[in-house]
Amino acid sequence: MKSLIKSGVNVVDSHVNDKKDEDWSFIRKMMLGLHFGQYLGQALRNPFNWILGVIFAIGLPLIAYRFLFGLSVVTHASNDYPWGLFLGFGLFAMVPLSASGFMLGTTVEIFGRHDFEPVERLALLNGLLGYLFAVIYLLVDLGQPWRLPYPMVVSFGPAAVLFLVAWHVATYLSVQVAEVSVAFFEWIGWLGGKRFIRRIAIGLTVSGIILSTLHQGALGALFCYAPGKVHPLWFSASFQWIHFFCSSIPAGLCMVIAVSTIIKKTMAWRCDDNFLDNLDRCTLGLAKGASLALITYLVIKIIGIAHDNEWAYLATGWGAWFLFEMAVGVVLPIILFGYAIRHKIVGMARVGAFITVFGIVLNRLNTALITFNWQLYQEVPHIFEVIIAVTIFAIYVVVYRFILYRLPILYTWKAEPEAAFAADAAKATPVRMTTPAVEAVYRKID
Amino acid sequence: MSAKQILTTLMMALAFVATGSMAQAADMPDQVSIDTMVKLFDSVEFDHAMHTDLGEDCSVCHHHTTGTGTADKRCVRCHADSEEYVPVGCSSCHVADPFSAENIQQKELDLYQFHIDKPGLKAAYHWNCIGCHEEMDGPTDCQDCHARTPEGDAFYHIDATGSSTSGH
Amino acid sequence: MSGISRRRFLAASVAGCAATTLAGPKKALAAGAFTGYSDSMGVLVDLTRCIGCRSCEAACNKEQALPAPDRPFNDMSIFDETFHGGTQKRRPDENAYTVVNRYEPEGSDEPIYRKVQCNHCNEPACLTSCFVNAYTKTQEGAVIYNNKVCVGCRNCMIACPFNVPGYSYSSAFDPIVKKCIFCHDTRLKNGLPPACVDICPQEALTFGMRKDLLKIGNQRIQTHPGRYVDHIYGEKELGGTSWMYLSSAPFDEVGFDANVSNEPIINNVKDFLGTVPMVLAIWPAMFTGFHLLAKKQAGHDNHDEKVEEQHGEEGGEQ
Repeated sequence: MKSLIKSGVNVVDSHVNDKKDEDWSFIRKMMLGLHFGQYLGQALRNPFNWILGVIFAIGLPLIAYRFLFGLSVVTHASNDYPWGLFLGFGLFAMVPLSASGFMLGTTVEIFGRHDFEPVERLALLNGLLGYLFAVIYLLVDLGQPWRLPYPMVVSFGPAAVLFLVAWHVATYLSVQVAEVSVAFFEWIGWLGGKRFIRRIAIGLTVSGIILSTLHQGALGALFCYAPGKVHPLWFSASFQWIHFFCSSIPAGLCMVIAVSTIIKKTMAWRCDDNFLDNLDRCTLGLAKGASLALITYLVIKIIGIAHDNEWAYLATGWGAWFLFEMAVGVVLPIILFGYAIRHKIVGMARVGAFITVFGIVLNRLNTALITFNWQLYQEVPHIFEVIIAVTIFAIYVVVYRFILYRLPILYTWKAEPEAAFAADAAKATPVRMTTPAVEAVYRKID
Repeated sequence: MSAKQILTTLMMALAFVATGSMAQAADMPDQVSIDTMVKLFDSVEFDHAMHTDLGEDCSVCHHHTTGTGTADKRCVRCHADSEEYVPVGCSSCHVADPFSAENIQQKELDLYQFHIDKPGLKAAYHWNCIGCHEEMDGPTDCQDCHARTPEGDAFYHIDATGSSTSGH
Repeated sequence: MSGISRRRFLAASVAGCAATTLAGPKKALAAGAFTGYSDSMGVLVDLTRCIGCRSCEAACNKEQALPAPDRPFNDMSIFDETFHGGTQKRRPDENAYTVVNRYEPEGSDEPIYRKVQCNHCNEPACLTSCFVNAYTKTQEGAVIYNNKVCVGCRNCMIACPFNVPGYSYSSAFDPIVKKCIFCHDTRLKNGLPPACVDICPQEALTFGMRKDLLKIGNQRIQTHPGRYVDHIYGEKELGGTSWMYLSSAPFDEVGFDANVSNEPIINNVKDFLGTVPMVLAIWPAMFTGFHLLAKKQAGHDNHDEKVEEQHGEEGGEQ
């Protein structure tokens, strides 16, 4: 891609073709403004695509195999371990990593911190895709996935925590689709839709906070059903939901840092100056938020142990594992973030973010899978289960990249002035906006 | 065959047993045919005479109803001076269907009933027989007392070769 | 954003909240304390009476039309089977709703056999964890399951403190939860005892009204000094169960989890369920308040120097 841009190719960032002054067709937009040959060429040159290809070649047939022959052929899901990697990782880890949407939504829209706007759309998209794929993992794991809408339309179990999760994830997915749709409306050039969403942005954001608080917490509360099964160090009947909610905050923020780091390294061509110039500053800002949340999390984890008087467990093997999780997943990033913020070392903050993401994933795996049934025996996931989990994650990466390549997430859509679209003549009289300042003005108006 | 049918058969068989063993020491039966679970197991040909010859007191099996009476601390409080009962057959006290709706309802109606935990007939037999057989090294395998019928084989999923072990 | 009037903003947030609260009233219906139907039935399992004949397993297999077993039901070598490195004994699954396991606790000359099946909790964890309400606790005491609505999330299996429900994982198109239903359809609701109770040669299983079984259990403990541990497992455990146990050996030595709480499982979750309406009510006002504060304070756009304080506030508020 970089070489194509060097050779003078213009990537789509507005409705009109740079050179010929005419509209991009939908097909050309889909192909980033490249010709078919160019598009195919860059896709084939990218070694990452070949890795993805290998994963799909193995994983997709396995997914088909699972649906044709049942869960037992691909997982070690058993009567003692009903939940395996699909939920342990796919649902319980993906959802906190997707807390970014409501975190940045809150920061920008509610607290008016518009200095975080360059990463807001990325955070919203990260949230949307994370939830979407958590649901996809869930669909692979459910015994009868075609009945997924049942809790909404057929039979209600309102006292169940999972009922809340189902409703909240479904509602929140719609909220996030609405939030991200702004970028989509810009891209297809339907500004009415965009204006409508901007108008209800605060309402969407506030409902996003409510829904996130409740279901991030609810995922934790799900384990309150299994007090004897989750190891006491990972279980707290009173605080489980707060632990899950609180840890989702650094998870979401650090996921934005992690994803933006990968973006900066691999698709800088797609980012505009607004994104690239502000990224380091935003990264440190996010790191600051994440470190404060991590400190809070550390404190309430300790309170959790003190509340149930579980100190004695720390001296056991499980205690050592717990201390490892806390030391590596929580304390180490706090130190890294603190040092990075004080000395403005963005790279260190990025390392801290990756470690935090690892720590939160480890926490969720520990709760759902590793320490689960600690009094019975340890289950190890089936190799096919691992492959399917990786495959779905690869699909997630592909979809993520597909959207980042196209929609104005990392770059600002070069919009038409209001006068033009008000007269419904945007296409007939395209006016090119170039100065960022004017552009910003138009964004505000929208 | 339904469980209900088993139960009916059981009850009819017991009615017979009861009559047969309705006995004072004088006219006690030498042989009692216990036809309880004739569906899964054949009847038990209980050699009453042989068991009385063992020299144990009647009360070992018949509690306070006949013989010298019971010495069990739990029982003597009320039954120390009990008169001999007529009849003394097991089924006159131990019902074949202890868990029928009527029998369970009875517990609610008769609030002064003392024996709220009296075993049913099947349990009474098995406790008495197995308990003693274990002490006296008598036979304790299921089929030592009653042979399994073909229907019983099907019930326990025992194939024709009958290779599996049985007993407890 | 600055283009939004306050009125319009309020309308939008009210709409947003309305959308989220739509499902709210239903969720807020956290179950109250429930100690069981007064006339519900139960079974008292007396481990001192069980001789391990496995007839109950055979009767269950027949009554529930379960698949033929790998080994016949009079094969006692099955008691030697262990799983997962010798740590686990047999458990109920899709092919067997009840199993008998053998234990040899120290200080006991005879092996002790324990029948495992659904204990039919008064306030079942499976029922309260099910988001499609597939479970019902019937008047008679049975916990039954509706496979027509089950989505297959298996939360009930996570929740069951006794590890009872099994799942037919091998079925691709119609996997369902399989567990003991107290023979509800065929027997219990017609006033008959379950098949296992009916077949038991030893009356190790006593069927009756739960309240009578408690009297009977206590009477047995009282009239047989030294024979039983002075406890009826299931009388209070996890809010009480319809199936209860008497044992001569300490319960934790014969396969029971002796550490379970007397609170029903749902009580662990009530803390969280109670916060749900609070969050729904307080969050909208609180965050719109924050929004208005931030807007008034800083002219909404230029406040670089406020970066640090405000971020602190945000982290600390969790």
